[in-house]
Amino acid sequence: MPASLELRDIHKEYGGRQIIKGVSLTVAPSEFLVLVGPSGCGKSTLLRMIAGLEEISSGDLLFDGERVNDWDPARRRIGMVFQSYALYPHMTVAENVGFSLKLAKMPRAERQQRVDDALRTLQLEELHDNKPSQLSGGQRQRVAIGRAIVRNPNAFLFDEPLSNLDASLRIQMRMEISRLHQRLRNTVVYVTHDQVEAMTLADRIVVLEGGVIRQIGAPLDLYERPANRFVAGFIGTPTMAFLQVARCEETSGRLAVKLVGQDEHTPLLELDTVASATRGEGPVTLGIRPEHCRLTAPDGAMLAGTVAMVERLGADTFAFLDLPGAEDTVAVRLGEDASRIAVGDRVGLQFDAEKAHLFDAGGIAVRSPAR
Amino acid sequence: MSVLSTGRHQSVSLRFALYALMLLLALVFVFPFLFMLTASFRTNEQIFAHSGSIGAFVPTGELTTANYAYVLGNGNILHFFLNSVIITTLTVGLGLIVNSLAAFSLARLQWRGREAVASLLVVLLVIPFEAISVPLMLLVAHLPGLGFEAGRLVLTRSWLNTLYVQILPFVANAFSIYLFYQFFRSIPKDFDEAAYIDGATPLQVYRHVIVPSSKPVFATVSILQGLAMWNQYLWPVITVPGESARPLMVGMQQFFGHTTEWGNVMAYATIITVPVLAAFVIFQRWFVRSVIGSGVKG
Amino acid sequence: MTQSRKRAYGRRIALLSSGPALFGLTLFLIIPFLLAFALTFTDQRLVATDSGRFVGWRNYERLLSISYVVQDPQPGVQGKPAFARVRDVTRADPVHRGFRPFSDFSWGQKRVTILAKDPVFLESLLNTFGFALMVVPLQCAMALALALLVNAGLRGQTFLRAVYFSPVVMSMVVVSIVWTFLFDRDLGSINKLLSLLSLGTIGPVNWLGGRATAMPAIALMSAWQGAGFQMLIFLAGLQGISQELYDAARIDGATAWQRFWNVTIPGLRQTIAFVLVVTAIAALGLFTQVDVMTQGGPQNGTSTVMFHAIQRGVREENIAYGSTVAVVYFAIITLLILAQQALQRRWSK
Repeated sequence: MPASLELRDIHKEYGGRQIIKGVSLTVAPSEFLVLVGPSGCGKSTLLRMIAGLEEISSGDLLFDGERVNDWDPARRRIGMVFQSYALYPHMTVAENVGFSLKLAKMPRAERQQRVDDALRTLQLEELHDNKPSQLSGGQRQRVAIGRAIVRNPNAFLFDEPLSNLDASLRIQMRMEISRLHQRLRNTVVYVTHDQVEAMTLADRIVVLEGGVIRQIGAPLDLYERPANRFVAGFIGTPTMAFLQVARCEETSGRLAVKLVGQDEHTPLLELDTVASATRGEGPVTLGIRPEHCRLTAPDGAMLAGTVAMVERLGADTFAFLDLPGAEDTVAVRLGEDASRIAVGDRVGLQFDAEKAHLFDAGGIAVRSPAR
Repeated sequence: MSVLSTGRHQSVSLRFALYALMLLLALVFVFPFLFMLTASFRTNEQIFAHSGSIGAFVPTGELTTANYAYVLGNGNILHFFLNSVIITTLTVGLGLIVNSLAAFSLARLQWRGREAVASLLVVLLVIPFEAISVPLMLLVAHLPGLGFEAGRLVLTRSWLNTLYVQILPFVANAFSIYLFYQFFRSIPKDFDEAAYIDGATPLQVYRHVIVPSSKPVFATVSILQGLAMWNQYLWPVITVPGESARPLMVGMQQFFGHTTEWGNVMAYATIITVPVLAAFVIFQRWFVRSVIGSGVKG
Repeated sequence: MTQSRKRAYGRRIALLSSGPALFGLTLFLIIPFLLAFALTFTDQRLVATDSGRFVGWRNYERLLSISYVVQDPQPGVQGKPAFARVRDVTRADPVHRGFRPFSDFSWGQKRVTILAKDPVFLESLLNTFGFALMVVPLQCAMALALALLVNAGLRGQTFLRAVYFSPVVMSMVVVSIVWTFLFDRDLGSINKLLSLLSLGTIGPVNWLGGRATAMPAIALMSAWQGAGFQMLIFLAGLQGISQELYDAARIDGATAWQRFWNVTIPGLRQTIAFVLVVTAIAALGLFTQVDVMTQGGPQNGTSTVMFHAIQRGVREENIAYGSTVAVVYFAIITLLILAQQALQRRWSK
């Protein structure tokens, strides 16, 4: 039975250093939850605490409402897929998958039945008697999943399971995992640093940074309405452009901004937000996604700059501009005009104010585009 | 590939010279074996007659198996042989269990004092057995033990002249623990964790995960310990003056000291050497690996 | 299970699994090692019941005391200088009580005699160092040469590697006995071969019977027996040197000899240091060969530190004195290792 998981104010300390600084979240039964964040954000530690491989310094961990902090990993009955797969090299595929059942002293016949079922689910029947060293990366991955599903676990934990695969295989395995989840409807907690994996797999994504949750939400929510600059910059490739705001003015209850690099004559940019939202110390920034920008002639454009780089990916082409007031190069998705743009061109940037995000001095989103 | 190799450009003359050198050296390395083997099939007169020619190393002329018949029929070589087999197998067998378990505990379990014990171990590696042999002998000479007297098991007041005095002090071995420890630490921690999630206890992790993944180091320790025990000389010479628990090497030395029949001596030497050489030929690959393994980290 | 009970359980498992080994090491290694130091300050004997008293530094004093006497020549017969017997001189002088002559040499007209309370130890110490100085370079050079040869990419090298290694698996007792015959003055193949090669000009050498030749003979045999071991360690070191370095050197125009000095030797530096120290430690513990082949003879010419320790400690049952010799041996080894580590640290900078 898929279980629900609940984390209440979980902390983790290593020799006086706080790794996890109070994480609370719930995972519904059958939900696919992805923990994502840059390396060192604590996502793996959190997963290992759920597995029982790390002690929880403080806070409560509940499975179906029952506190399991002191349960050892076996008792929590979770399935875990490691980054290295951790397949026992001396055991065959079937022995690897059936090891937990053997330790639980399940009768041989039943055990074999369960192992065969799991292998069939993963289309591994023919590799029954192979050793891990004889398998390809994708096959090993599937055996590792098989080992997790065979015990019909409370929850599946994945620790960066695809990072050892090459790019094409990664996409294929991503689909397989997704399909498997649709079939088995297990509760899944999945750790990755790859935001594309997170976007494609998750029911909900948890973005972690520095041991705290920065936002929880459905993938598109995070993309369209990031709660802060960190999430806005982390989700989406190429990343959202951040433009510094030089001046904010209030006109008839709405907020109007002038960007750094805009001259006197450029009209103010009107946004449907109240001005009070931007109070606070430090600069306000405006964020805009590449697909909401377009290039124009430099004269009369919102901002003018030069093309620093052009990336032609086949389906899409992105131009990266050097602009005054931008913290990094600004990515623009090109349309019909893609072939005419070259590095060094002087161009203008134009975007629809309705699509802009606005972040206050503390990096908190004060405006997101309407749906 | 190394300096001597110039790859595809190796000249024919260099190649020829290297082959000649290799073969000449090979002769230097095998001639004492050949001498031992050949002489074991000869009488004293035949050995002396051939000693000045190539015939010393090649079985020509009159050959006899009388030396083997004599050595096997007189004296206690079979008894000593059995002693050596018991000593070697028991020490190696017990040592594998005891030392690998200790290394497992040091490398894979969390307990207070673990680091201290691990560093103490490195210090112990430095103490050569020779340096402690004299006080150790005093110690075992006064340890209470068990013995047979007139067919009954009795308590004795010394370990001298027993088989176990040649076994027990060598079961726990700092170098073996160190080799196991190094190897175990190189096994990914993920294996243990996967097993704990699968429901294993620490001892099940040891038995089902660590041991099966560590065949090379078990082979290394078996070979190094086995060779050391089979060939051991200093310790039995000082602790086993009597005959009942005497191992082969001391038996050989005693035999050598009381005979002038070189043929007999060489037959004795051949009987001692053949089992080890046979093991070496069969497990050559493992011997090579174990030596290299023993020197990797020092 | 609660967290604390889990920890208690973990401690029990840890104790259970490491206990037997730690017990063994304590009883058979740590205690005897500490005992060795303690015993040196007693007069402990193997069986005598009234022994084991504290005697201070007496054992060390007996072991390490060295002195000398200088004698002027007395007019002797036929104009040759004559000297009084050393024993008479030392007896007359209470400072030299207990000293026995170790060796003497002339200094101008005078004769200097080195005295020691245990001249056999002094001789054993010098013999041991002499043996190490012979066997370490010989064995290591042989091992390196064999490793280079076996690593040259020639056909049959796996087989020959096994041949070169095979003496290592042979017992030292057996090797010693076989070589005793090969070294024999009249019958040994080595003398026969020498005589053949030198067309009879080199007469039969009494290898093991001569004071000057016994130790070199043992050193030669020991190097032969052990070189295969170090060969394999060198081989592992050689295979750790990247082939690309050799390729780069060849592109830079280095000859085989230059590649050896500029790629191989620097690449093997750590291995060489390791092999030298391990070989030296083994050499300083020389016992079996001497015990089987010469029993320390002729005239203590092959007595070694370990042989002396066993001779005094076990065969004469003077455990305290044998321990003192062993402790001195351990001190030498420790110095050697410390020197090596200091060198290593300097290299790695």
